[in-house]
Amino acid sequence: MNFHTCAKKSFAALLVASLVFGISACQGGGGTSSEASEGAASQAASGGKAVTLEFQQWWEEELPSGSLRKICDQFTKDTNINIKLLSNPYADTKTQIAAGAAAGTMADVVGLDGSWVYDFAKQGSIANLSDLMKQDNYDTAQLASQIQVDGKAYMIPVVNFAYPMYVNLDLLKSAGISELPKTWAEFKDDCVAVKKKNPQASGWIIQLSDNSPSGIQNCLMSWLWASGGNMLNNGKPSLTNNEKMTKTVDFVKSLFDAGVVASGATSMTEADMTENFINGRVAFMTDSLAHLVTIKKENPKLNFTTMGVPKMEGYTGKSGMDVANWGIGVSANSEHPREAMKFIEYLMSPEVNAQLAVLANAFPGSAKAEPDYSKADKLFSQTYDIYKAGYGINEFTGIPTSEDLMRSYSKQFQLYLKGEIKSADEMLANVQNEWEKAFQ
Amino acid sequence: MGKSISIKPSQTVKAKTKGRCENALPRSKKVRAIQVPEENASSIRHENNRWQRLKKKCEPYFYILPTSLLMVLLLILPIVMVICYSFFNNVIIEKSPSFVGFSNYLSILTDSEFANAIWNTLHFVCISVVAHLILGMLFAMLLNSSYLKRSTKTVFRVIYVLPWVFTASVIAILWKLMFDPNGVINYLIQAVAGPGIGHIEWLSSTSLALHAVTFINIWAGYPFYMISILAGLQGISYDLYEASALDGANMPQTFFRITVPQLKPILISLVMLDFVWTIQQFALIWMTTAGGPINATNTLSTYIYKQAFSKYQYSMASASSVIVLIVCTLIAIFYVRHQKASE
Amino acid sequence: MVGKKKGYVKIIIIALLILGALFAGFPVFWMILSSFKPNAEIFAWPPTWFPRVFTIDAYREILHDPGKLRFFANSYFVSLVVVALTLVLSILTAYSFSRFNFKGKSTINAVIISVQAVPPITLLIPYLSLMVVFRLYNTYWALILTYLLFTLPYAILMMTGYFNTMPRALDEAVMIDGGSRFRALWTVLVPTALPGIVAVAMYTFMQAWNEYLFALTLTKTNDMRTVPIGINMLMGQHSYEWSEMMAMSVLGSLPVLFLFLFFQRYFIAGMTAGSVKS
Repeated sequence: MNFHTCAKKSFAALLVASLVFGISACQGGGGTSSEASEGAASQAASGGKAVTLEFQQWWEEELPSGSLRKICDQFTKDTNINIKLLSNPYADTKTQIAAGAAAGTMADVVGLDGSWVYDFAKQGSIANLSDLMKQDNYDTAQLASQIQVDGKAYMIPVVNFAYPMYVNLDLLKSAGISELPKTWAEFKDDCVAVKKKNPQASGWIIQLSDNSPSGIQNCLMSWLWASGGNMLNNGKPSLTNNEKMTKTVDFVKSLFDAGVVASGATSMTEADMTENFINGRVAFMTDSLAHLVTIKKENPKLNFTTMGVPKMEGYTGKSGMDVANWGIGVSANSEHPREAMKFIEYLMSPEVNAQLAVLANAFPGSAKAEPDYSKADKLFSQTYDIYKAGYGINEFTGIPTSEDLMRSYSKQFQLYLKGEIKSADEMLANVQNEWEKAFQ
Repeated sequence: MGKSISIKPSQTVKAKTKGRCENALPRSKKVRAIQVPEENASSIRHENNRWQRLKKKCEPYFYILPTSLLMVLLLILPIVMVICYSFFNNVIIEKSPSFVGFSNYLSILTDSEFANAIWNTLHFVCISVVAHLILGMLFAMLLNSSYLKRSTKTVFRVIYVLPWVFTASVIAILWKLMFDPNGVINYLIQAVAGPGIGHIEWLSSTSLALHAVTFINIWAGYPFYMISILAGLQGISYDLYEASALDGANMPQTFFRITVPQLKPILISLVMLDFVWTIQQFALIWMTTAGGPINATNTLSTYIYKQAFSKYQYSMASASSVIVLIVCTLIAIFYVRHQKASE
Repeated sequence: MVGKKKGYVKIIIIALLILGALFAGFPVFWMILSSFKPNAEIFAWPPTWFPRVFTIDAYREILHDPGKLRFFANSYFVSLVVVALTLVLSILTAYSFSRFNFKGKSTINAVIISVQAVPPITLLIPYLSLMVVFRLYNTYWALILTYLLFTLPYAILMMTGYFNTMPRALDEAVMIDGGSRFRALWTVLVPTALPGIVAVAMYTFMQAWNEYLFALTLTKTNDMRTVPIGINMLMGQHSYEWSEMMAMSVLGSLPVLFLFLFFQRYFIAGMTAGSVKS
């Protein structure tokens, strides 16, 4: 009896095991066979050898429904190369690319943020685009910028999102302010006046959540860059002995000390920040131009405008405006690097790039593109003019472990705000120390 | 064949003895020697005995075979890889990492941020586990009470199990909205205590953040205890309660002298599992404070995440993970020894 | 509880019951409320108790999107399969732990518990590589097997505990009548342990249903993805769909709650521990 049950059990176990592996082999085969059939279908249609590129991005969700698919389908019509759109939640895209690169499951073409480029390039996850472009005799002058590491391009910004300052005109009016502030002193005074008249509101807002410390880049450094300052010198950290940097830190701290900054800053994300503005609780906010549409949609009655970030006293030069970009790169292990480069060149071609820029409410990454913003909000074109009068800048792009640098800056800044660090010089010296470790 | 004759009696004998230990090798031999005196087929019987002894010995292993296979293939293998990573430098980000022995461990153990993470984790885990236990027990007892109608219990059982039904991300986002300085919790507090109390920064202040996050975790995790304890309560024999009521025991006495001892094995398992799991809690903390204002809520899981995917120091992350693994293994060994002793 | 029913005890119990319900239910009430508000109103101050603008847009978005509905289908399929497999495997393993004493038992027991101690984030890359080697990447089996690994330790531990509370007399009663151990297990022990099994099943379902990280990493196409991923996708770079996230959670939880309601009765399967008199 025992033997029989033993035999039965071991047989059952074997059966289960073989079922498992059988089905998994089937499924694995099924997976690739469905892709093969996709290729076969297009093969049947075109009669030639069809390649399918996987494009890993988060853009589809942000663009009007179906628009990215249409752009990719046009590419397929022109070149017989199929584009398979894959998407991940934005917050996890970086982690997924890193994991995919390590395990060999990375897509052919990847959407990249400027702050990830250096590390992925050094790890050998993304391909050298300079060589690919040379192979195609591509004229790199038509690119507004390329993100390079060690002199080779690894990422091309497709569209740029500028970070102007949004102004809540109703709050300003309630405090009797009729003119937009142009200098830091005027800005601070306006904030104080607004706060006095509207205790539930705040003058300015910044998001310092450790989750995604881009507030340092977008909100804090904007002050520095708008006044022609730099945090790097020759690509290396230069935070100490940097008068403008010290003044910026002290200025932002003075805003906190005056009580005009929205509470909850240290756990606030960019989305929280925008919603606070939408609800009319914030007078000034440095935020992505991409949110223009969101603000208009969610609160059509809000009376607001955009302006350039006020400049430091005594600075009369051109203003740098913070830009974040949707960048694109090619996986180092891609089986079709030439086709991938072709797709990138297509997205960077003036017409397509202009189209994308309009759809995304962004500025084009192609130097030759002329987007038709006529149907866009007038604030958008207003901001575009401000942007063109100055220059786009983001020193966090293309440097090692950007996110971590922002985080350590944020931590030291918060210690300074708390009073545990006594002076801006001390704080900046600490940050400089930590940053230098990353640049080794 | 002498086989059938020799099996049945030994089975009966085994059944008669209140056998706890099935390692019955010496016993069955003894029994067979007494019960079945046969001379002729002794050699065949020897073969049969040995074969049956082997089968008996292997029997328990057959039951655990599928599970063990699965775990070894899919879990032990990656864990071994992680342990290997911890002894190399710049794993994954460089094509040929170099062997550095224990230096990663040394760097981690001397990192003040790691020490801070351990302290926060201990605080987070211990308070969570204790609160889970108390709440779970309280709710389970409430839902098991004979003072309530069956329909009432059904309705409240569903309400109490609600926190379990949602993903960690959603719970984090929801509580982040509620704990917002302009959120509903501050609104309720102001409604009670007046507007003078201002907008409390639950998740953004270094003093409150860890407590807020712990509170969220308590809310999210107690149903696990409640359900397991409820199931355990069903298994406590009614006779025990009857007997104690006859002896005139009141409620606290009944609770501490009957309910708790009967539930003890389950409770110990729950506490130990929850301890190990709460150390891993990541999504909840990441999406509310991500390690918090100035590392106030930086626990081991967020520390390791930042090492791996922000600093790209996979070897460091692996070393930290191995340290966590060692600590939990010690706890597991302790638990298993305790189980063995109580058997 | 036996004995006299005291009036004041009932009042205390009801008070605690209501307080507990507020604690457990208020956040969920807030979630449901938020799912009917437009995004901006969720952040309004003072918070609104009844939506100024009552809208079912969030629900409409989800129910009219076949991609999102596929997330629900995938989640249910994977979770149910995981529950079935976990129960079978854990019952077998727990039986062995409970009724036998064999060499290596404590080691295996300790290993089963301690393997859960490795932070999933570190396991991610080696595990993903392993899945790719086994050609399971982007398949249902990847998710099912992964979740089995997460749920088995708890299930085994709990089932062992529940089996331990059942006297061996139950097994022996079957074996005396000529049944095998296997039969004793499935015909007597399992029905007796039903409350425990239902508890384990519920836990397993929740684990599989709510898991996010590995579901995201092991799948790449939307036709394989589950509800937690769908919810996180709503947190875009520029647009956060708060009300849609809340709506998706609510929709996802409803069938789970119905399942729970249905299986509750097995929870109170009765005091069978006393059925075998010494």
